[in-house]
Amino acid sequence: MAESNRGQAHGINRRNLLTLMAGVGAATALPLDFSKVALAQGAKALRVRLGSDISVLDPAHIFQIENQTVCAHIFNGLVKYDQATNKIVPDLATEWSISGDGTVYTFKLRGGIAFHKNFGALTAEDVKFSLDRVLDPNGASKYTGQLAGLKTVEAADPGTVRLTLEAPSSGFLHKLTAFNQGWIVSKKAVTEMGEKFKLNPIGSGPFMFEKWTAGSEVRLVANKAYFGGAPKFDELLLRVIKDETAAAIALEKREIDIFYALQQPEMIDRLKKLGGVQVLSRDANHTINLVLNTTVKPLDDPRVRRAMAHALNRKGLIDGFFKGTKSMAHSVLTSSFAEFTDDVPQYGYDPEKAKALLKEAGHPSFKFELTSVGLSPYDKIVVPMADDLSAVGIDTSIKVLERGAYTQARNSGNVQSCMTGVVGPPDPDSPLVSLYAKKSFPPGLNTARYDAVEDLLGKAGTAKSAAERAAAYKAILKKVMTDVPVIPLYGDRLFLAHTDDVEGLVQNSLFTVDTYSVSRKG
Amino acid sequence: MLRHLGRCFVHLAVAVAGIVTVAFFLMRAIPGDPAAYMLGDYATADALARLRGQLGLDRSVLEQYALFVARAVRGDLGSSVVTGQAALTEILDSLPASAALAVLGLLIAILIGVPLGIASAVRQGTWLDVAIMLAALAGISFPVFWLGLAAILILSHGLDLFPALGSSGSEDLLTRLHHLALPALVLGFSVSAYIARLTRSAMLEVLGQDYVRVARAMGIPERRILYKLALRNALIPILAVIGVTFAWSLGNAILIEVVFSRPGLGSTLLKAILARDYQLVQAGVLILATAVVVTNTVLDVVYGVIDPRLRSG
Repeated sequence: MAESNRGQAHGINRRNLLTLMAGVGAATALPLDFSKVALAQGAKALRVRLGSDISVLDPAHIFQIENQTVCAHIFNGLVKYDQATNKIVPDLATEWSISGDGTVYTFKLRGGIAFHKNFGALTAEDVKFSLDRVLDPNGASKYTGQLAGLKTVEAADPGTVRLTLEAPSSGFLHKLTAFNQGWIVSKKAVTEMGEKFKLNPIGSGPFMFEKWTAGSEVRLVANKAYFGGAPKFDELLLRVIKDETAAAIALEKREIDIFYALQQPEMIDRLKKLGGVQVLSRDANHTINLVLNTTVKPLDDPRVRRAMAHALNRKGLIDGFFKGTKSMAHSVLTSSFAEFTDDVPQYGYDPEKAKALLKEAGHPSFKFELTSVGLSPYDKIVVPMADDLSAVGIDTSIKVLERGAYTQARNSGNVQSCMTGVVGPPDPDSPLVSLYAKKSFPPGLNTARYDAVEDLLGKAGTAKSAAERAAAYKAILKKVMTDVPVIPLYGDRLFLAHTDDVEGLVQNSLFTVDTYSVSRKG
Repeated sequence: MLRHLGRCFVHLAVAVAGIVTVAFFLMRAIPGDPAAYMLGDYATADALARLRGQLGLDRSVLEQYALFVARAVRGDLGSSVVTGQAALTEILDSLPASAALAVLGLLIAILIGVPLGIASAVRQGTWLDVAIMLAALAGISFPVFWLGLAAILILSHGLDLFPALGSSGSEDLLTRLHHLALPALVLGFSVSAYIARLTRSAMLEVLGQDYVRVARAMGIPERRILYKLALRNALIPILAVIGVTFAWSLGNAILIEVVFSRPGLGSTLLKAILARDYQLVQAGVLILATAVVVTNTVLDVVYGVIDPRLRSG
């Protein structure tokens, strides 16, 4: 024992320590030429920043934009949105017809489409299986409600799918676009893999799932047999980089090619000024809203709600807090929707008018609780909002809850107000039905308990022509902006940055990024 | 020696059981329901009830605990409610990346902290001592995520010495080491501050002992006194510090993983806590607690080897 002790003490001398320290120094400052390795890797691979890690890649259970971004490369839908115009265009189906009474949709599938990794040909049976599993009440899919009204799905022959609705629905094609419940999975793969399919997705898209390293990256490889032509990169690496500063440096150092989900105003500004980097932006299909519970006093009075809309300095919020990186929201439909209109009642910042309206309603002052989830920017913007409301006599207190507690409080329906955003495809029903339809609570997001546009929503659903449909949506927007059960605070804008050496990136108005069209210059 | 070992293992088992029990009940005390998280805003009451039943969340917390313990003893820690993968597999898959960071970080911390602590003690009261202690104070005061961001800005962006990302999908060992270097340096610097301060006080205590004074009076060369007498006797408190800092390194490694976008236990646990993925959090806490407690137990045994007086303590 004494021998070993002596040996240990003897082992530590200054020279040995210096040698060891030098060794570690050398190991940590390994040759600087490693940037070349990163570049060489980048030549064949496209590297995209993800702001958060993925968790589920099964379309029936998918949530979160990072999962959706990965799946946008793996799966196809019967139809899809054109990334630039948001028009519905063919995807797996080359053509479709709608019966005269608007209840039967028949789709003809492209021939010769193969699922990834030898899971066989994509047929009408796979389409039927994909939609039926979302409809299955025991399947616990998040999107069962999205396909409400779909009575049957039939595989008429391997290349033909027939969908029968309970009643005509003019916006039904939106529900079948390549997004969430619209993505078509391989029946064979889901049946064989069971639970494992959640992280081993098999689709027919331009990239195939290869590997997920939790907390670090998702690796997809090119599907050379893709029906639209092989992608221009062998690999798509989606790197999880939570911090925006680190992501910006990685972009500058060419460790990534595309900085997706760029949000901080300072970072947007910095990257715009940087040489060799392009910043793209586009209005999202997304507004952030203050939802007022119309079943509690005095919020049941539309004059009080209008007064609150006038009291909030929304332009100040956009210019000051967000430094101009968000858009003014005239209603819950942003300019990315085909049905967008600004011909609706407007509520400019006017504290005097707000006070007058409150007085007229007989509630010059009342207690109000602003409930928000403890996530940025909601938990921050409620502070100036409470200031604005207090300034006109509304005694406002703020309640910020952790996400789980917030969801529970909101779902209980017992809160005076909440902050709600609706993220989804450019389908006008997505925000309108979610926020204003009686059927959307409980469960759902109509925590305003608003029910005054039921007939108008019905009219929009059964509209026979595009003009009739557009008129119905316009009427809905006018009505809801007159009653203001929901005050749109701002419209989200999406930003992404990419290095100069990639081209062809088309930014969509969803919160995802689809890189199939991207190539490297030269 | 055997009694000493036995006592260490009993302590180990009690500590792990205690930590896991506390973690189990704490997780369930957080408001929010995993079923609601998974099914989202449009979940019907039926769908929620069905999923809760599938996940066993419809049972009482005590029942769930009994079930968890019964399964854990058999090595079954359940499955992640989000991904469906075995929780233990997910945790064990993410462990090597965290361990690599924590071990390399700790190694760097020892190599920086111990010599600086000794130098500071030997030159007590001089400018060198003040400078080292100031640097150590800075290392302790700055949060590790701030140090991480500053290191990215200076060493990666400014001087272009390291990649900004702390991990690479590459299979090449050297590339992976290169990506690991900066996070490990940051962790090492942060932890070395503690080690330097505690090494200094341990050395000062030993240098003030009578036998050191006697050795000096006998004219034994200072280097011999330092490395053969003082350091050897200061080793026990230093080892104790290293044991504690290993746990601390793992904790800091979790923060560093987030800043440097590295895979690892931290990233996995953070995601699991946010998603109320109970099984995954429990498995993660169990493995982390075991790693920390085992390290400390090994050190307890080593103390016994170094200092026979401790075996009977």
